[in-house]
Amino acid sequence: MDIIGQFPLFYFPEFGSAWMMGVTGTIHILASHTSVGAAMLFAFLAHKAYTENRNDYYPYMKKYGMFLLIFSYVIGSITGPGIWYTATAASPRGISALIHNFVWVWATEWVFFVYEVIGVFVLVYFMNKIDKKTHLQLTYTFAIASVGTLALIIGIISFMMWPGTQAYYTTGSASDAFFGVNTFPHMFLRLGFMIMLSGVIGLVISSAMRKENEALSNELSRKMGYVSILGGFITLFFFIWYMGTLPDNAHAVFAFSKDEIIQNRIILTLVFMAYFALAIIKPKFINPILASAMIGVILISGLWSGEKLRESMRKPYVAGQYIYSNQIISRDVSGKNIKSELPIIAEKGLLHVNPFVPQRLKTLTNENRLEAGELLAKMACSNCHSLEKTGVFRPLKDRLVGMDKEGVKAILYAIGDGAFSYMPTLKLPENEYDAMAEYFASLKY
Amino acid sequence: MDASVLLALRDPAGVPFYPIVFQILYVLTWALHAAFVLLSLGSMGLSLYGSAKGSSDKHWSILTPHLIQTGKISVSILIVLGVAPLLFTQVIYDPNWYVTNTLSGMWVFIFIYTLIVGYSMYYWYYYANKAQKSGSTLIGFLSFGILVFAGILMHNFAVTSIMPNAWMNMYAPNGVVDTSGWTFNVDVIRLAFMVSLSIPVVGIFLQNYSRFLSTRKDFEASFISYTAKLGTNLAVMGLLISAVLFVLWMLQIDYLFHPVSLATIVGVLVLLVMAKMNSNSYYTTLVLVVVALLISTMREVIRFDIMGKLGYSIYDYPVNLEIPTIVMFLGTFLIMGFVGVAYLLTMAWKVGKNEGVFDGSKDVLVSRLGKSTLYIMITWMAIYFVWGIGILFNNIL
Repeated sequence: MDIIGQFPLFYFPEFGSAWMMGVTGTIHILASHTSVGAAMLFAFLAHKAYTENRNDYYPYMKKYGMFLLIFSYVIGSITGPGIWYTATAASPRGISALIHNFVWVWATEWVFFVYEVIGVFVLVYFMNKIDKKTHLQLTYTFAIASVGTLALIIGIISFMMWPGTQAYYTTGSASDAFFGVNTFPHMFLRLGFMIMLSGVIGLVISSAMRKENEALSNELSRKMGYVSILGGFITLFFFIWYMGTLPDNAHAVFAFSKDEIIQNRIILTLVFMAYFALAIIKPKFINPILASAMIGVILISGLWSGEKLRESMRKPYVAGQYIYSNQIISRDVSGKNIKSELPIIAEKGLLHVNPFVPQRLKTLTNENRLEAGELLAKMACSNCHSLEKTGVFRPLKDRLVGMDKEGVKAILYAIGDGAFSYMPTLKLPENEYDAMAEYFASLKY
Repeated sequence: MDASVLLALRDPAGVPFYPIVFQILYVLTWALHAAFVLLSLGSMGLSLYGSAKGSSDKHWSILTPHLIQTGKISVSILIVLGVAPLLFTQVIYDPNWYVTNTLSGMWVFIFIYTLIVGYSMYYWYYYANKAQKSGSTLIGFLSFGILVFAGILMHNFAVTSIMPNAWMNMYAPNGVVDTSGWTFNVDVIRLAFMVSLSIPVVGIFLQNYSRFLSTRKDFEASFISYTAKLGTNLAVMGLLISAVLFVLWMLQIDYLFHPVSLATIVGVLVLLVMAKMNSNSYYTTLVLVVVALLISTMREVIRFDIMGKLGYSIYDYPVNLEIPTIVMFLGTFLIMGFVGVAYLLTMAWKVGKNEGVFDGSKDVLVSRLGKSTLYIMITWMAIYFVWGIGILFNNIL
């Protein structure tokens, strides 16, 4: 039987299903990065509190910890599996590839998570119930465990971009897949961002303490300003290094909006430098509303756009540069006995090889051509593009505007011949090209 | 569903270790996850009763905040423990996991945000109860309802995943493809049984709670005996309800005389006697863990059989052995995991037993476990970087 392991398709109208993953992922990154950054900040503050006998730091840590419990350990711990779930619905074979390569890495990360989740409750609720030395030791282990979760996930998300070297394709080894050329720059880029975020969140809490103790509030706001600047510097430094380790197709996508992205990043850097400088020079000007608004700016201008860019730069792949976004395996991975599915699709067609295509649509007829064309369009395109005339997320209405059937077909042929490095080289039988083109033309974009 | 389709849906990368290991880990970690699901459900539900009674009852005014706190921490732990069975199931049962998630894609999305809203509201309930706000019970009920709904959604995923013969019809009823992701299936008896278990679980928890606090001088003897008695009543009543529902579930699917089903019934009866006697609830808890493992095994047997009859056996999954990462997992799990969690739990136990500030630096066990955890973690980090740099040098130089 000529079938490939394709699953049923889930499509969210107007947007496509990938945006669900994007929204959940962005929220998770804010919460999880804050959590790791705060764990490091806690270790730093606990160390200072213990060695300099600064008992007044403990109430700050307690308040920060309570905030962390709700923000990172409610939102973060749910959106973590949430990315996984939504990715499974939107991109089942992409996530399956990651799971089957890295299940033990994820399982190891889980051990760190268990320590972190029990640890955060112990750390926060026992702050006044245990001696300072034990508390200090606990914050050290909590910080390392948190950084451990980053150390483990980073190789997996780096692999999503690409394995970094060719070794993985011949050995199939998880180690070769995990430690690519971009793994460490990516790790330190995120570590810097985490440090910066811990300072940004810390400013909300330190500024909220002004009424209780103004001198302490100002001192801690200054400290958070320095911490954020340090984190911001590390982020920028490693971002440049990270960009240099990305594959050609990523740079091809980046080149589309390079100037705009660089301009936005410069503006963001200047805005945040000014904000951190204000926290250091005039801490009394920082208040919880401004500090919370700055978190919103990071979420929308920094994280959402950054993650969207990272996702775009992976195109046409979704994992390891061997699975396309549309869930088709596009190359051999001899180390894992994985075979490219492109030849069989080119020969038999997507409708034929997908086990979830109903029998009545397997053979194209004049009666079912439009319906089958729509299904083909969803299977081949909807992971990245919304299809409707009112589509919102990377809509095809903007790309195929005013085109007739032959015009659309010409584009499909070009994609099949590999004319665009960021599009999947998906060759289809003539009758499937024809059905897809007829469907797109019928929409009259 | 045809065997060739199910086999094609396996990931072409194969599994990185022997499938039976994933199956065992799945059964083990699902039982752990379920234990905290049931504890959170039971303690949240019971806290609502206490919250509705208000602060006039001297026993409930102490017990209710503790139950709310238990529910709050349990939800966090159930989430983190729930990650493991999800991980292991999708390694060996790809068809079930991925087909379910795509068929119920909208519910998957709704599930995540339902959980966030429900759990955030639970924190609101916690603070409102602490501040003795009048609307706290209502907030608690809303939060509880939302979290139960999230549980029903999770049940939907579990039920849909074991209906392979109906998948095609769910995706393309009458041959017309439906990509909306609104597939929803419920098995009422199975769900009722799972939910009912929260009553004995919270009952046995209360017996433990009472036993644990009995050494503390700042808790009155009448409170200790009240909570013990309440626990016993809940455990006995809950076990009887669960036993009836379990038998009905087994009759429904014709598994009543399966050895695992019979062992579960025996386990429940033993639990019933031990809970009724309440001579040492810590031992009762150990039996409860065994029963949880049996229920987890039962679920797996049902799934294994359904798939087996269609020609899909996880034991035939092609294996591509992956040694370095399993060594990392086992080393981390067995050394860092056990020492680290022992450190945290020992400290929590001793803080709970202590009436003032607990000086861990003078406690030999806590101090030793703390140092060991720290050194193990530092060593872990060092190995990680040496390993990574070694691989990278080998591949790029």
